[in-house]
Amino acid sequence: MPKYSNLQVIQSALKAGSTSCEKLVDYYLARIEKQQALNIYIETFAEEARTRARALDQKYREAPSSVGPLFGMVVSIKDVLCYKDHKLSAASKMLHNFTASFSATAIERILAADAIIIGRTNCDEFAMGSANESSYYGPTRNAIDPTRVPGGSSGGSAVSVQADTCLAALGSDTGGSVRQPASFCGLVGMKPSYGRISRYGLLAYASSFDQIGIIANSVADTAILLEIMAGADEFDSTVSAEAVPAYSQHLSFPGKAKIAYFGEAMQHEGLDPEIKKQSFDFIEALRGAGHQVAAVDFEYLAYLVPSYYVLTMAEASSNLSRYDGVRYGHRTATATSLEEHYRKSRTEGFGEKVKRRIMLGTFVLSVGYYDAYFKKAQKARRLIQDRILQVLADYDFIIMPVTPSVAWKIGEKQGNPVEIYLSDIYTVLANLTGLPAIAFPLGKNKNGMPFGIQLMSAKFTEKNLLSFANTITQNLR
Amino acid sequence: MSVYDKYETVIGLEVHVQLSSLTKAFCADRTTFGAPPNSQTSVISLAHPGTLPRLNKKQVAHAVRLGLALGSEINPKSYFDRKNYFYADLPKGYQITQDNLPICVGGVLPFSVGERAVNIRIHHIHMEEDAGKSIHDLSDHATMIDLNRAGVPLLEVVTEPDFRSPEEVDIFMNTMRQLVRYLEISDGNMEQGSMRCDCNVSVRLKGETTYGERCEIKNMNSMRYARRAIAYESKRQIDLLEAGHSITQQTLNFDPQTGITTPLRNKENAHDYRYFPDPDLAPVVIDKASIDHLRQTLAVLPWEVTTRLRDEFKLPAKDANLLAEEKEIALYFIDLATLANDPKACANLIINKVRPYLQQEKISIEKFPLSQKQLVAFIKLIQTGKLSSSIAYQRIFPALIESPEQTPLAVAERLNLIQSDDEDFLTKIVDEVLAQHPKEVAAYQKGKKNLIGFFMGEVMKKSRGKAAPKTCNALLRKKLA
Repeated sequence: MPKYSNLQVIQSALKAGSTSCEKLVDYYLARIEKQQALNIYIETFAEEARTRARALDQKYREAPSSVGPLFGMVVSIKDVLCYKDHKLSAASKMLHNFTASFSATAIERILAADAIIIGRTNCDEFAMGSANESSYYGPTRNAIDPTRVPGGSSGGSAVSVQADTCLAALGSDTGGSVRQPASFCGLVGMKPSYGRISRYGLLAYASSFDQIGIIANSVADTAILLEIMAGADEFDSTVSAEAVPAYSQHLSFPGKAKIAYFGEAMQHEGLDPEIKKQSFDFIEALRGAGHQVAAVDFEYLAYLVPSYYVLTMAEASSNLSRYDGVRYGHRTATATSLEEHYRKSRTEGFGEKVKRRIMLGTFVLSVGYYDAYFKKAQKARRLIQDRILQVLADYDFIIMPVTPSVAWKIGEKQGNPVEIYLSDIYTVLANLTGLPAIAFPLGKNKNGMPFGIQLMSAKFTEKNLLSFANTITQNLR
Repeated sequence: MSVYDKYETVIGLEVHVQLSSLTKAFCADRTTFGAPPNSQTSVISLAHPGTLPRLNKKQVAHAVRLGLALGSEINPKSYFDRKNYFYADLPKGYQITQDNLPICVGGVLPFSVGERAVNIRIHHIHMEEDAGKSIHDLSDHATMIDLNRAGVPLLEVVTEPDFRSPEEVDIFMNTMRQLVRYLEISDGNMEQGSMRCDCNVSVRLKGETTYGERCEIKNMNSMRYARRAIAYESKRQIDLLEAGHSITQQTLNFDPQTGITTPLRNKENAHDYRYFPDPDLAPVVIDKASIDHLRQTLAVLPWEVTTRLRDEFKLPAKDANLLAEEKEIALYFIDLATLANDPKACANLIINKVRPYLQQEKISIEKFPLSQKQLVAFIKLIQTGKLSSSIAYQRIFPALIESPEQTPLAVAERLNLIQSDDEDFLTKIVDEVLAQHPKEVAAYQKGKKNLIGFFMGEVMKKSRGKAAPKTCNALLRKKLA
């Protein structure tokens, strides 16, 4: 159990004088020290965090009302978020020695709200993976069972909260990279609507899918972080100008909801029977609480993963072209021509998984294959979006498992990329459609491994989504 | 008839116009020409991880202006695509361009070659960003990269294959340069690379209706070179065909030193650019009101001005073309001609005196020291016979520029150059001239009447240009009769 379960508890303790930011940081740094074996952080910002904590304590002492809404919030950031004058590696040899020269908009906003950043966390290389096994810095381990993966790609982010080394973590979610590790680690994980949080300063994997996501112990902490980070930003033309409600002030859902689930998804042969049973039990509990829950047809289930992978790999192949060793990043020592420079720098700098996706992405965009793969996947994406919009015209939420299984053993699925890709079946829908989705803990299997369940809602209805998730997680369990 | 006369050359152009904008296409970096290498490069230009493009709205307005001027259809919604390829001066590994749905479609650029009117059809205009520069000759062992130009906003104007000669290409490019300057969307400066073109060249037998296989000559930034390159390429292709070979599609480089084209790459290893919609940029949406506004505020077009100068001001084509070259000069002329009510005199003055002065001083017309009122007075002095035009041009104009605060009349009086028709004064000079040239007087009186010109010249010399020619002439004839 974490010492502090949420920000409200911390802020009360700070007000009461029973703790200080400095003590909090010291506590978390000691936790980090203790949990070295889990390989959570690529780098901790220990001294800097202490200095900042002392400054914030001073600010509070001088004028208690002058501190920001994230006063007392110690967070970790996934190593794909730019933090000015700090290293940024994307867990890749390619960027091993790269230093960011600007901060992501989201980072600037949480700092302006007085959060403390304690370190940058491990992840899958370039955020590509579902197990955190592809990091140049080695795998991160699940704190509940260190022989198991924490999920990915924001595996380090999830374990940083799970192992009580910080209060909340910022990750990124392109196809489930926040929700899946949150589920594997027994935490709340949220991917906001596409365009809710500026992507400026988030290292791009697949631009039309990527969103910064939040991993926390509670829905309330998720809400306050989203509230601070969301909203218009002139540096990202895909971010929405839609007003940002005070999510943290609306955490109780009024009345009863209409919820849809997809029979095909719940009956899927790959779904672990224990997860299936507890998911159905949960649906019954929702009904018992007076909500309407109905099965809805969804004929595109089998197209989710293929469409997702074709499109994300295509975008990734282009997004990762900039890593050429010309201006920054890994540069081969032995090239004698420009072509050889590219070939060797990229061969040496990128790991296996990343290279596989770049090659597949290049392939699906090539002359002669574009129509058969990329264009077809775009059409499938449109059909899926239209269908989901139809469903959400009649229902407030869609409920689905987060993952077909619990966390697997480290190394267990290596060498079988397709099997790992298929495990993304429940999470990619939110990214294909740009909808907000929140995963929260549902139960544990007989081995004690946690798993979650997720809710999705219409675009930019995070207020409903968060309040409903908060209400049912507090009342049902 | 030579074998070359059996063929015609078919040319299509891709013209790149660098837009005058203080900042780049997708970030706030400056675009000053000649700045120290890599001094105009932010994290966005350098394609650091996490950076995103944001569209320069000025680029869109400029594209629409050019489209409206050429009579293109403006797409209310257009998209940016990525053109993927690796090169050391292309920081992102892709260029942001418009491939599938460009901002402007269709249109025509009209011009004339001598008396013949030519209309070159425009296929489309799209927006894109420039790459940086690779400099190969600064170091023996390394290529130097300057990314100041990376991300500079460009418009690419793609024509139909409507050209039939290098001369047409030349005039088209000059007209395009004139147009972008009129629209104030580019300085059109080819030497600084603000305008350059790729030439697609093919040949076919005259009368043939299908096109031959084409070759593309890249990056022509001088019209002199472009003319030579096209002529060379056309001859090369005809020679190949005449020798029984076929043409293979190629991308070519033209070397001005040797005057020949050499292949950069052929069709087999042509790039596969893997175009796809850029997910980082929203579609470019232009509503009707914005298009209407741009249409209403569109600058006057060069061909409209040329026509007006010819038809309304009755100038000969040559003068009209010269004056219309620069919008500011053309508009200056129109104002002046309206004030002075003597278009021909105004055209002469601007072409022979004002323009050369501006060029010599390297200043624009706004900086010209004399007011239009002074120029009108200047022209009036000639019209009313107070000054001979040669005296006015040679002596008064320079003196006036030296003391622009004075009126032309005051300057002429100060220099004692006002023509005189004072009979006493003139009679005295005429008498002197006749007295000094008795032989000529005798010859005249015997019938060599064209000697009148000689006497006029002598009188002028003696009066130092001040003699009013009409009065003089009458006096001479009277005395010699």
